[in-house]
Amino acid sequence: MTGRNGRGLREKPMTIIFNIVIFGLAFLMLRLPYRYSLALVAIVVVALLRMERKGAVDALFSLYIRNRRVAAFSALICILAIPVLLSTFRYQSHIAVMALIYAMVCLGLNFQMGSTNMVNFAPAAFMGIGAYSMAVMTVKIGVSPWLGMLTAILTSAFAGLLIGLPTLRTKGYYLSLVTMALQLAFVQLIKNMPSIGGPNGISGVKAFSIGGFSLYKAYTFFGVKLTPHFFYLIFCAFALIILVYVAQRIYISRYGLALNNIAQDEIAANCLGVDVPRCKLFAFVIGGVYCGVGGALYASLTSFVGPNDFTFARSLVFICMVILGGMDNPIGVTVGAFLLTVITEKLRNFSDYAQLIYAVLLVVILIVRPSGLIPKRVRDYCAVFGRELLSPSRPDAGPADKD
Amino acid sequence: MDMFWGLLMSAILLGCTYTLVAVGFSLFFGVMDVVVFCCGDIAIFGSFAIMGAYVAMKSAGLFDSLPFVVCVALLLVIGAVFCAALGLVTYRFSIKPFQNSSELMPLLSTIAMGTIIKEILGLLFKPAVNTVSTALGGESALSVVSGRNPQGFPALLMPNGTVTERNITIIVITILILALLFLFLNRTKMGLSMQAISQNKELSLMTGINVSRIIIITFLIGGIMLAISGFLLGSYQKLMSFDDGAMYGAKGFSAAVVGGLRNTWGAVAGGMLLAFVEVFVSGYIPRGTSYASIVAFVVVVIFIVFKPEGIIGEKTAEKV
Repeated sequence: MTGRNGRGLREKPMTIIFNIVIFGLAFLMLRLPYRYSLALVAIVVVALLRMERKGAVDALFSLYIRNRRVAAFSALICILAIPVLLSTFRYQSHIAVMALIYAMVCLGLNFQMGSTNMVNFAPAAFMGIGAYSMAVMTVKIGVSPWLGMLTAILTSAFAGLLIGLPTLRTKGYYLSLVTMALQLAFVQLIKNMPSIGGPNGISGVKAFSIGGFSLYKAYTFFGVKLTPHFFYLIFCAFALIILVYVAQRIYISRYGLALNNIAQDEIAANCLGVDVPRCKLFAFVIGGVYCGVGGALYASLTSFVGPNDFTFARSLVFICMVILGGMDNPIGVTVGAFLLTVITEKLRNFSDYAQLIYAVLLVVILIVRPSGLIPKRVRDYCAVFGRELLSPSRPDAGPADKD
Repeated sequence: MDMFWGLLMSAILLGCTYTLVAVGFSLFFGVMDVVVFCCGDIAIFGSFAIMGAYVAMKSAGLFDSLPFVVCVALLLVIGAVFCAALGLVTYRFSIKPFQNSSELMPLLSTIAMGTIIKEILGLLFKPAVNTVSTALGGESALSVVSGRNPQGFPALLMPNGTVTERNITIIVITILILALLFLFLNRTKMGLSMQAISQNKELSLMTGINVSRIIIITFLIGGIMLAISGFLLGSYQKLMSFDDGAMYGAKGFSAAVVGGLRNTWGAVAGGMLLAFVEVFVSGYIPRGTSYASIVAFVVVVIFIVFKPEGIIGEKTAEKV
């Protein structure tokens, strides 16, 4: 609680500087060759851990919340600056887009795994359902990608509902087994359906366009040839901003609280009047929507969907991202997805070892720091809603994990 | 009618392989209350260890100097030692650190452990002798350089017998192992302590059972059992792939759940049920082979939803 009043003038430049530093680091991680980039990732991880211990991350969050207008505006400019700076680097832009899409899927997974403590082993299947809907709609039926995306959202939300229904009667291992079965069956199913390409997948998924202006095309501005990813990167960044915002709103809403309550003790939640089945279904459906958006954007980016993109191994990667970033913290999950995507893509030369690295990383994180890089925090409603505390006692905060 | 008997035979065989993995699951779940998801991978590791040892022994000329049975026994011992060690490693690094945390942590960490085992197999396994062509009986040189390619399992079980004889041997060995396990669990002090821990951990601590020692012994025994199941799996399938473990893990886990997680005999029933569903779906439904696993998973989901305590297994009320 440093400098609540009277420091507003100095806080605003500070906020802007912090934003520039944060997004500058992200840019450098994308841009640098793999040795320096990975060294930077390591430094950032260590720094985050130290800051977390010293309470600096908390201070940063409260600084941002207090100066939210400045923070949001400067962050927006920084986010827009990244595609501009990357505009001639095709591969780096590709990594950035992949990181954004993975972050969306991880946010979706976070509703189930982070908030409600139901480990869903099928995020890749949900993403695949979205991607295949998009592919079928645009290639086989031939409608606009926007309609394809809508279909993707609807189908993966419906899949979430279907998977959510058995979970009303099960929990723990049984629930995990149901989602695992979905994941394994999904890959088997699409491999054995010739009508959607079978093992060969579907190629030629259309790119998004706004009024004839294609978002995935190499344009030339003032003699500078931009990468085709330029507008797509901006588009995905905006989509992710909206999704993070929604996730954050849900987190501080009563639903977010209820989900945490179920995670801690389902019986207690029931006794407190939380509509447990409804909340669980909500977590699965909203998670499905997020994964569906991610899948549709992914299909449009690679213009190809195949069964090998949505395997159990990919699901493990998403789980790893969520745990690395910090369960039940949308910002943390986004950071985790970004870091892990950068690590993977920068280690392309060693892709034989990618799975091994993920698995070792997962075990190490689980042993050393199960709460992740940026763990979830106590909801500070007074700061969020801008009301001063009347008494020094803690506001009606959500259940906080103290482990 | 011939087709029916053939299917019945292969269903029982598949059921035997599922059963052994599922029994591993329920053994571990009994003493630790956690799902050790890398059972399938440990079994595959066992069969790869046997393959590697076979190649080494063959090139060292041991097969010519020693009787065949002794060699096979030696291979089994090597596989069992490897798997038991791997069981201990799994316990130390992916179960022990999570004893006091949420029940899903060990599930995640053992899945990660399974991936580590699988990837190590894929990266490191390089047999010196081309075993695929010898296993398939052909002379054509199919070069196998990396563990990521399917590996041919050497014909160690009844090498001169017919397929039916070999299959019957596999079934007999499975029954023998299960009988031994039954005797161990019910007739020895150690087995009874395992059951006691499975029923009530605190109380067994109070009665003077050395719980941590029993847990380690369980992992040793489970490892040995999984090594044998890997051996049988290899003898049945002839071709092994490094990433079979995840599928066997999922199937074994499903079988254990269908049968009742805590109950060893439930695992047998569940494994057989799953195998029968799979084999008969692929036998009698046109184009059913590709959908067999999916149907099996649907059966599992139905069981989880409507009878979560399993075929054999008492319903437990939730304690508050």
